[in-house]
Amino acid sequence: MADITLTVNGATRTGSPEARRTLADFLRDDLNLTGTHVGCEHGVCGACTVIVDGRAVRSCLMLAVQAAGSEVTTIEGLAPDGGLGTLQQAMWDSHSFQCGFCTPGFLMQATAFLSEYPDADEQQIREALSGNICRCTGYQSIIDGVLLAAQRNRTLGSRELSEGAT
Amino acid sequence: MKLPPVEYEAPTTVAEAVDLLAEHLDEASVLAGGQSLIPLLALRLARPELLIDINGIAELSGVAAAESRVTIGAGTRDYVAEESWIVADALPLLAAALPLIGHEAIRSRGTIGGSLAHADPAAELPAVARALDAEFVVRGPSGERVIQAAQWFEGYLTTSRRADELLVEVRFPAAKPGTGVSFQEVARRHGDFAMVGLATSLVLSGGVISDARLALAGISDVPVRAAAAEDLLTGERPSAELFDEAARRATHDIDPPADLHGSSEYRKTVAAAVVRRGLRAAADNARERQ
Amino acid sequence: MTAIAAERYTGASIKRSEDPRILTGAGRYVDDIKLPGMLHAAFVRSPMAHARVLCVDVSAAQELPGVVAVLTGADLDAMTVPAPDPLLALIGGDGPTPEFTLLATDKVRLVGDPVAIVIAESRYLAEDGCELVEVDYDDLPPVMTADFALDPSSPPLFANLGDNISRPHSRKEFGEVASTFANADRIMDFHIDVHRHQNVPMEGRGCVASYDADLGLMTVYAATQSVHITRNGVATRLGMEPDKVRVLAGDIGGSFGLKIGASREEQAVAAASRHLGRPVKWVEDRAENLTVSGQAREESFDVQAAISNDGDLLGLDVKMVIDTGAYPGMGTMVPSIIEGMLPGPYKLAALGFESTGVITNKATYVAYRGPWASETFIRERILDLIAKDLGLDPVEIRLRNVAPRTDPPTMMITGRPLAGTTTKESLQRVAELVDLPAFRRRQAAAREQGRYLGIGVATFIEAAPGPRSEGPGGALGMESMRLRLEQDGIVALFTGQMPHGQSHQTTLAQIAADEFGVPFEQVRVVVGDSDVVPFGLTGGSRSATMTGGVTLHGTRQLKAKVLDFAAHLMEVSAQDLVISDGNVWVRGDPASAITVSEVAGRAAAGQFGAGVDADLEVEATFDGGQGGWSGGTHCAIVDVDAETGLVKVERYVAVEDCGALINPAVVEGQIRGGIAQGIGAVLLERSAYSEDGSFQSATFMDYLMPTACDVPRIEIEHLETVPLDADVNFRGVGEGGMIVAPPTVVNAIEDALSPFGVRIYEQHLPPARILELIAAADPGHSRAER
Repeated sequence: MADITLTVNGATRTGSPEARRTLADFLRDDLNLTGTHVGCEHGVCGACTVIVDGRAVRSCLMLAVQAAGSEVTTIEGLAPDGGLGTLQQAMWDSHSFQCGFCTPGFLMQATAFLSEYPDADEQQIREALSGNICRCTGYQSIIDGVLLAAQRNRTLGSRELSEGAT
Repeated sequence: MKLPPVEYEAPTTVAEAVDLLAEHLDEASVLAGGQSLIPLLALRLARPELLIDINGIAELSGVAAAESRVTIGAGTRDYVAEESWIVADALPLLAAALPLIGHEAIRSRGTIGGSLAHADPAAELPAVARALDAEFVVRGPSGERVIQAAQWFEGYLTTSRRADELLVEVRFPAAKPGTGVSFQEVARRHGDFAMVGLATSLVLSGGVISDARLALAGISDVPVRAAAAEDLLTGERPSAELFDEAARRATHDIDPPADLHGSSEYRKTVAAAVVRRGLRAAADNARERQ
Repeated sequence: MTAIAAERYTGASIKRSEDPRILTGAGRYVDDIKLPGMLHAAFVRSPMAHARVLCVDVSAAQELPGVVAVLTGADLDAMTVPAPDPLLALIGGDGPTPEFTLLATDKVRLVGDPVAIVIAESRYLAEDGCELVEVDYDDLPPVMTADFALDPSSPPLFANLGDNISRPHSRKEFGEVASTFANADRIMDFHIDVHRHQNVPMEGRGCVASYDADLGLMTVYAATQSVHITRNGVATRLGMEPDKVRVLAGDIGGSFGLKIGASREEQAVAAASRHLGRPVKWVEDRAENLTVSGQAREESFDVQAAISNDGDLLGLDVKMVIDTGAYPGMGTMVPSIIEGMLPGPYKLAALGFESTGVITNKATYVAYRGPWASETFIRERILDLIAKDLGLDPVEIRLRNVAPRTDPPTMMITGRPLAGTTTKESLQRVAELVDLPAFRRRQAAAREQGRYLGIGVATFIEAAPGPRSEGPGGALGMESMRLRLEQDGIVALFTGQMPHGQSHQTTLAQIAADEFGVPFEQVRVVVGDSDVVPFGLTGGSRSATMTGGVTLHGTRQLKAKVLDFAAHLMEVSAQDLVISDGNVWVRGDPASAITVSEVAGRAAAGQFGAGVDADLEVEATFDGGQGGWSGGTHCAIVDVDAETGLVKVERYVAVEDCGALINPAVVEGQIRGGIAQGIGAVLLERSAYSEDGSFQSATFMDYLMPTACDVPRIEIEHLETVPLDADVNFRGVGEGGMIVAPPTVVNAIEDALSPFGVRIYEQHLPPARILELIAAADPGHSRAER
C-alpha cells in the first residue's frame, strides 16, 4: 500500500489503496464518489469512464496508484455548483437516459470528445460513443443530447466571441 | 471480478525496470497501458507476482524521425501516435490502423509497445509491424538487442522478448514515395478485434507495384505475411484480376482459428475478400497520395 | 430548477424529474449503499455443468485474514427453510416442482451454480477467499440439448423428478384443426429455432441485507421490479413474518424482467446477514450476470401452416420445445402465453398447439422483455415464407389476413377479443412511409453492383394490458395506489411500481398534476419501500394502463376529498370550487384563491368536528377499465455484405399504437430500446454453451451488445388510437419493440439474400451464419468475382 495524492474534481484527495485496487473502486469506495459506475470490470462497457489528465479513460482499467499526481474529473465534477453543465442540460432536454446506469460513462466520454471535436457530426459522435454500452435507449436520444450540447456550445461560444470583441 | 493480490513497483528508469525483470523473470508482468493486462488480471486469468509499471519512465515515450526511419518509444500512448504529424507523414499504414484500435478511451492509455509486446494476433499493431518489417529494440541486463518483426512474433501472445528484457522502442521504416496503404478489418462491431484484418502497403512507381507488403491479422497465432501474394504482385500493374489471384494465393493454405465469432472456414473465406478490398484501397491510396 | 409550465402535462414530453440526480451522479443504486460494519459477499461457483458435490472444504478460506465467514450449502440449509421461487409462488408455475437446496449441497446443475458464500471485509478479499475453498466434484454427463433432455436415459438433474421434463407435454386445439388442414389448398412445414440470449441490464443483480438482531428486523436494499415480491421471497426463505422484512429500492440500472423476487444468491446473502448480525452486500459482477443470472428464448418450433392459394393463413399446428435451463423460473409458463398469442391480429381459424419444457444444465429461463415474443417471430417469419412461395408482397399478405376491426370485436380463436386493434392502419402507414416501389428500384440497382439491400416488415399486438373480456386473460387484475395531500401541499402518490428506467416518477406525476390541478413539481411519486407502498410489480407492460389509470381515478378521488374539506374551510359548496395551478378558488372569483398548500396545512394542523374529513388521503384501486391492445408495424432496411456476412441496419421505421401517450419521449425511448435489443438478438447476442456444458459468453467480448454504431435512427410514428375506455386509454409499450424487431430484421435479411434463394428459419444471424446460408442455398455463388 502506498499513499497517493491526486486531484479529483478540483480538490486534493489522498488515500492508501493497495496496488490491485482499481481507480474505479478507489473513487467509489475510498472517496465516496459513487457517481462513477462499474458495469463490467473488463473495460468494454464504458460505464466507468472518467477523465484523467484531460483524456477519457476506463477507470476499471487503471490502478488507483497509477492516478497518483493526476487530475481526475468524474461526473460529480461536471457541473457548476448545484447546477447543470451544458451537456447535462442538453441531455435532460433530450430525454437522453432511462435507468441512468450508463450515464456517467457517456457524460465523461462525450465531454472529452466534444472538447476535442466540438463540431463533430452525428456519425463521428456515434463512433466516439460506440465504446459505451446502453441497454435502455437505443442510443438515439443520447446522440441527440450530444448534438444539442455541441450546438449550444457553438451558440454560447459565438456569443462570447462577439461580446469579447467589443 | 477483482484483481488478485499482486506486488507493484513503478520504476522511473529503464535500468531499474530491467533490474526488476532480471530478478523476477516470468513472475513479473510489465504494466504499460493496462488495456489488455488489467482485464486478464480482473478475470484472474493472469496471476503475476509483480506488476512493473513502466508508465513513469519518461525515456520510453516519444516519436522521432531520423532519415528513413521513425522510432517510437514503447511507452508512447496510442493517442499520441495518432496525433503525431511524423506518424501521419511517414507512417501512413500505422496512421490508418491506429483509429481502429478499440475506442478512444482505450487509446488514451494503451501504448504502442504494450500492444506489440502483448502480441495478440488479431490486433492491429502486430499486423502493421509485421507488414513493415519493424525492428524491436529490447534492453536486458547485458544490453540492447534488435529483433526483426519476423522473429519477434513467436506464437499466440508470445514474443521472443526474454523474461529479463524490456521492449524500449520500435523502429519503422518511413514510407517511400509512391506508397499507398490500407488497413482492413472485418469485425463484429466498430472497435472490436478483427475476425480478419489486413495491413497493406504498396509502392507504385510509374504505375507498377515495386513493393508489396501484406500482413494478415486473426488468421493464425501470429500476424502472417502473405509472401506468395507479395511475390505475385511485385512488378505488376494493379488490376482486378491480379488482386483476385493475390487473394487466392494469400489465403488458399491458411488454417485460421475458430471461435465463437467465426469458424475457420468463415475466416478463410472472408480473408480472401479482405485481401481484394485491401489491395484495391491501397492502390487507390497510392494514387491519392501522389 | 425552473417551474415547468404546460397547458396540460399529459401527452407532452415533460422533462424527467429523475434526470437531475441521474445526470449529476447523485443516483443511488444498490452498489452505492454503504452501511456501518458492512461486509461483502462472493460466491464459490461450480466450474462443472453437472456433477455431484462430494465434499466442500472451507478451512483455508476461513483462515484468510479479512474473511469473516464461509457458509456452505449445508450451513445455509440449516439456517433457512425450503421455499419456492417467489415469482412462481405468486403467478403459479406450470409443471412438476424440483427439489433443491438454496445453494448447491449434493449436486451442481450448471456452470456457475453457487456452492458456498464467502463473506469478507471487501469484495477483493471475498474473491480471494473463494479461490481457497476446495470442492470435490464427481462429474456427471451434462444435459445440453433438448434432444438429450427428452431422452429418458439422460441423467435427471433433479432426483425427485426422475427425468428432465420441466413442463410435461400437452396439446390443445382451437377451432376445427383437422378439417381446416384437410380442406386447405396447401400445407407448408417449417422448423424454426430461436436462440438463447439474455436481459443484460447494465447493472447486475445485487442487494445489501442488514439484519437488526435487537429488533428481529431484516432490511434489504434491493434492485428489484417489486419490493413486495422480494420481501416475500426473503421472508419465506428465512422463516420470518413478512412484516419483519423491509425492502428498499432506489435507482435501478435496468432489469428487463431479470430482477424479480429474490434470487438464490440474494436469499443466501440475507441469511448470512442474519447469521452474522451485520450488513452484507452482494453485487454480481458481469461474469456472474452473464453466466448464471438467467437467460431466455431458447425455443424450437415445428410449424405446419394451412394455406389457401390466395394467401389466406387458415390454420397453424405448432409443436414447441422450450429449454428452461436447470433451476425453475418462468420458462414453464411461456408456452401457454405463446399459445394464446399465436393468432395475433389475424383471422386465424384453427390452431393446434403442443409444448414440452425440458431441463438442461444451463441458466434458468427467466422473464426477458416480452417472454412470449417467439409467437410473433414465428408468425411473422412464416407469413414472409408463405408470401414468397405464393409470389405475394409481404404487406399484401398481411393486409389480407388481418382481422377487420368490428363491433363487437373479432375474437381470436384462443379467446381474446381484438378490440381496438389498428393493425391494418399501421401496415398501410408503414407502406406509405417507406415507399416500397422506390426501394425496390434502389435494391435492383444495388444488386447490379454486388450490394444486397433488403426490406422487412412485421406486425404485432401485445396485451398491454390486453382488452377486458369474459374469456381467458380478460380479467386485468387490480392495481392499488395510496394518494395523499401532504401537509406541505405535495400530492404524494404511493405506488408499488418500481421504475427501473420507465420514468414513472415523471409520467404518473403528469397525470396527477393534470387531474388535481397542481404544477408538475407539486406531485411526488413515492416508490421503493415495502413498508410504505402498496403491492405492485413493474412488468408486463401494464403500468401505463393500470397505474396510469389508478393515478387518474385516485387523483380524482383525492381531489374530491380535498374539495370537500376546502369547501368547509371556505364555507362554500364543493361544486363551486376549482383547483388549478396549485390554487383553490371559487369558480368565477379568482380573488377567493387560497393555495393547495394552505389547505393541506390547515387540514394537518386543525381539529375539526364530526362530518369534516381532514384526513386527505385515499386508497384507490383500478381494475384496468376496458384495457386494450398495443401494437404496430415495423419496417427495416438492411445492407448485407455478402462477402463478409456483416449486416447494417440502414433504416428502421416503427408505426405504433399504444393508446393515448402520457409522455411521447418516454414512449419513444422504450420503443427504441426494445428495438435495439431485437437488433442485438439477431446480429450479435447469443448465450452460448459448449457440448461439455461450459459457458462461452461470459464476458462482453463474447456476449456482444449493440452499440451506437449498430442501431440506426429509428423513425417512430404514433397512430391515432381507438379509445376503448371513457377515461383510461394509456397502454403499455415496454415490450413491443423487443417483440417485433427480430422478425422485422430477419425478414429484411432474407429479402436482401433472396437473389441467392436463401430461406431463414432461425433468429440468430451472425456474419458466419449469413455466409453459410448463402453457400448452402447457392453453392455456385462465387465470391471471387466481386
